[in-house]
Amino acid sequence: MKIALGSDKKGFELKEIIKSYLQEQKYTVIDTTQEPAEDFIESSKLVSKAVLEGKADRGIMFDEFGAGSFMASNKIKGMITANVTEERTAHMTTEHNGAKAIAIGAGVVGVAVAKSIVDSYLGIEYAGGRHQVRVDMLEKMI
Amino acid sequence: MIIAIGNDHIVTDVKITISNFLKEQGHEVIDVGAYDTSRTHYPIYGKKVGELVSNKTADRGIVLCGTGVGITVAANKNEGVRAALVSNAAITRYVTEELHANVIGFGGTTVGKFLAEDIVSVFLKSEYKETAENKKLIEKIDNLAPKNTEQNNNPDFFKKELDLWDEGYYHD
Repeated sequence: MKIALGSDKKGFELKEIIKSYLQEQKYTVIDTTQEPAEDFIESSKLVSKAVLEGKADRGIMFDEFGAGSFMASNKIKGMITANVTEERTAHMTTEHNGAKAIAIGAGVVGVAVAKSIVDSYLGIEYAGGRHQVRVDMLEKMI
Repeated sequence: MIIAIGNDHIVTDVKITISNFLKEQGHEVIDVGAYDTSRTHYPIYGKKVGELVSNKTADRGIVLCGTGVGITVAANKNEGVRAALVSNAAITRYVTEELHANVIGFGGTTVGKFLAEDIVSVFLKSEYKETAENKKLIEKIDNLAPKNTEQNNNPDFFKKELDLWDEGYYHD
């Protein structure tokens, strides 16, 4: 699985920790922000682009609260991002919403929970079926 | 304040609790549904709440689904809306004060009753605090999606998907 990562200044340290964590587990990591992006809008756009263009299978965005990356990236047509603070939402958003990326706020989520969230996120597949009607609706919106 | 509220069938009971809470606080509530627990689709209600906030019929919006993700994404994908998925008071304060969020969403099955009330209280009593930096960010966010599209205030926007659903196209 190819995972795109991206971060602004506030999320950068956590992004680096999760990057190593993923590489240790032999995931292919595409780091879209080797230097911190100017803001969470730019970093979330880079991760969104990587996923929407098929360069990565999933994405993880990092900023201070997670909510900024959510707000910005979900303004991009076809993008579905969920900012998460615990594992259950990371699991369900992938399984039901077809989430294309998650966002983690470094000012909200500590390292141990971030790793646990990432484990949940990468351990589940999208269920499709009845959920696809909602995904089609979201993808149709601006 | 006038608050638009919307939800999917998974969390109708939680929506009712929040609606009651808002009314007890003296706010006017516009409830766009879902009104019962028969299976429906969160984007319908996210769009309705987003539009009421965008056209200023409502001052702010609150949306709920199981985790809050789907309906908040749907609310955010409307012109003039800045929606945030929140799970505690700090995030709620940040999105309102710094990003001028006008819709918040949370998970009715993930966020417990007392925390939900805290989140709603913080959302309603916080005000946007403009700075040069956050003004620039907000303008960027507001300009990411196109304006004046056929989606705006179009009640038939999801007709195709709903027809396909009724035909059984989206089966498990």
